[in-house]
Amino acid sequence: MSEDTNSVSRRSLLKGAAVGGLGLVAGSTLAAGSADAATRLKGSTVRWTTRGGGATGDKIAKAVNDAFTKKTGAKVVAQQVNSDDFQNNFAQIMQGSPDDAFGWMAGYRSNHFGELGLLADLTREINRLKGTLPTAAIKGATSPVSKKPYILPTTYYPWALHYRKSMVKEIGMNPEKIDTWDDFIKLMTLTQKKGLVGYSLGAKGGWEAMGTFDILNARINGYKYHIDLLNGRAKWTDAKTKETFKYFAQLIPFMNENVLDISWDGMRDLLLQKKTGAMMMGSWFANDFKAKSQEDYDDLWVVPFPEINPKWGIDTIDAPLDGISVAANGKNVAGGKALAQFWASPEGITEAIKAGDTNIYVSRSFDTSSYDSFNKQKLAVLGSAKNIMFFLDRDARGDFAGPVVGPAIQSFIKKPSDINKILESVQSQWDALPKN
Amino acid sequence: MSDEMVSNKKYRDKQKRKDGFISLFIGFFAFVWIFPILWTVWTSLRPYNEIISYGIFSWPRKLTFDNYVNAVEEMQIVGYLINSAIVTIPSVILTLFFGSLIAFVVTRYKFRFNLTILLLFTAGNMLPIVLTYIPVFWMFIWVGELFGNRNMFYNNYAGLILVHVAFQVGFAAFVLSSYMKTIPKEISESATIDGANVFRHYWNVILPLLRPALAALSVLMTTWIYNEFFWALVLMSDDSKRPITSALRRLQGQYVTDFNLLAAGAIIAALPTVILFFVLRKQFIAGLTLGSTKG
Repeated sequence: MSEDTNSVSRRSLLKGAAVGGLGLVAGSTLAAGSADAATRLKGSTVRWTTRGGGATGDKIAKAVNDAFTKKTGAKVVAQQVNSDDFQNNFAQIMQGSPDDAFGWMAGYRSNHFGELGLLADLTREINRLKGTLPTAAIKGATSPVSKKPYILPTTYYPWALHYRKSMVKEIGMNPEKIDTWDDFIKLMTLTQKKGLVGYSLGAKGGWEAMGTFDILNARINGYKYHIDLLNGRAKWTDAKTKETFKYFAQLIPFMNENVLDISWDGMRDLLLQKKTGAMMMGSWFANDFKAKSQEDYDDLWVVPFPEINPKWGIDTIDAPLDGISVAANGKNVAGGKALAQFWASPEGITEAIKAGDTNIYVSRSFDTSSYDSFNKQKLAVLGSAKNIMFFLDRDARGDFAGPVVGPAIQSFIKKPSDINKILESVQSQWDALPKN
Repeated sequence: MSDEMVSNKKYRDKQKRKDGFISLFIGFFAFVWIFPILWTVWTSLRPYNEIISYGIFSWPRKLTFDNYVNAVEEMQIVGYLINSAIVTIPSVILTLFFGSLIAFVVTRYKFRFNLTILLLFTAGNMLPIVLTYIPVFWMFIWVGELFGNRNMFYNNYAGLILVHVAFQVGFAAFVLSSYMKTIPKEISESATIDGANVFRHYWNVILPLLRPALAALSVLMTTWIYNEFFWALVLMSDDSKRPITSALRRLQGQYVTDFNLLAAGAIIAALPTVILFFVLRKQFIAGLTLGSTKG
């Protein structure tokens, strides 16, 4: 036990040193801050975890970490872990002997663990990166409860409406102009008339259909209402929430019959095999189109979900934000913070992209001139929104999103007429959650 | 005479029908068991692209071993195999050693609580490990901190081996004690009369007689511990220290998982146990029926 208190006092000493460092750096430039870090870190070892990514993931990590070593003289020991395993055992890993810095997710998943004291406060680092990070990203990385950032934002991807340009052309519509709710309904109706699925959806895992709910709620009731709803400041039984499900119910007749039996990959296959008009999903699957053929990839298109309520327009998008967090229990917290800052800095991003990273970075320094048209369109879709949601299971607490909202949406799809009963049950389950 | 022949023929026909029915029955269930494995092999031979373009049940356009080549490259299989050996071999040896010690004491010596002790050890096996993992995790951390090193057990092979031994020793004690009961008491009695002390009695008299049981049990234990993944996952935070099952997890992406590649990896990871089974299948079957005639 005495060792424990010793290490704590050592740690707070380090923190003291860090605060002192902040005072010194506050007025100076970013470069001076890094030079300061370099002298402090020389010879120390920093441990890094990459979440998934296979051989490319390892290659990217090596490139960035080597550049960090070159700059600061600190050695980086890196490892790659399975993304799901890391996420599922996160609390244990953080309480055990975690690596100092690692790729992680913004939203409830970092805020919650940050407030529990398992993730380090990155206020100083995020302030140093202020010049390159957009305000929305900084806001997204900051916990609304403690007002502290526990993650340095790096990459994101849009959840939006995907379809095949050729199929839209075939039904006599302009694939570049699917803007309004009426266009959207027309697209689904005409596709369905051809004997295909109008709107494909999966809900096997419970989370896939959350994307559709998120965007409908944001379009109908606005961003603020949606976030309030997910955090208990608005009621699931409210007429506004019911209105969202009325729109959701309109989509059901256009859907594939096996919604509850397929997951996101089933949705992808429907689009890949030209069996569906449109679907709402994260853009990560685009590589599978490319893997099939360049022609299929060129055919794929993405647009913002159409406007429903003119008051909100298309001002909101689901774009899960990823970044770098630092373990509060790591052996080298100062080193972890410096490494995290390097990963999120323009230098680190350049190294990652050179090593084959295809993610979209939030940083203003991010160069997109070499992008193909689909990726440019993805950026345009992201740029069209003022407010960024992180997806329901990151915006809401973990013991509510998965266990309560997921099954609720599933039962709604099974029997839409039960919606009042379902929403009452969701609300009562929220009320029954322990408040902390 | 002819009567007898007729009834004989009748009997043989009946027997034939019975045999046919039994073969059909066994064949059906053998197929049910083997089907997932065949399907995995089948999947592992098909390229990912074909599956996403034409569906899982589509007619194959191309069959290749590419998935195996890629899996071997991605899995970094040698390192993980060594890890598996580091965990499995000491675990099996220690489990057999401690299991046989317990079995020896509870069967060779009569004292008040010997059945209770045996039941206690066996009962430990009934607990689902997911229930015990949080306490075990904290126990490792706290004991480690007591000695000034958080990683004395947690994220250390010592801890993983300890957990495997603790969880398997109950079963080993149970099986070995059943087997030991079949060794005549007279052997022990004459050993004692000849002046063998307790340890000599165990080491030079009982242990050699236990050899078939130990061989059978070690095959079973090796398979179980080799295939075990859960403890390695929760008690090892460094992926580079995890066993072969972890190599498979490397093949799964954050979003996209190439199941054809994964199938190839699964076949590769399963190979050592399958080979072990065929080499030592006599012991394996003996292990399954060990001590079944006397309890």
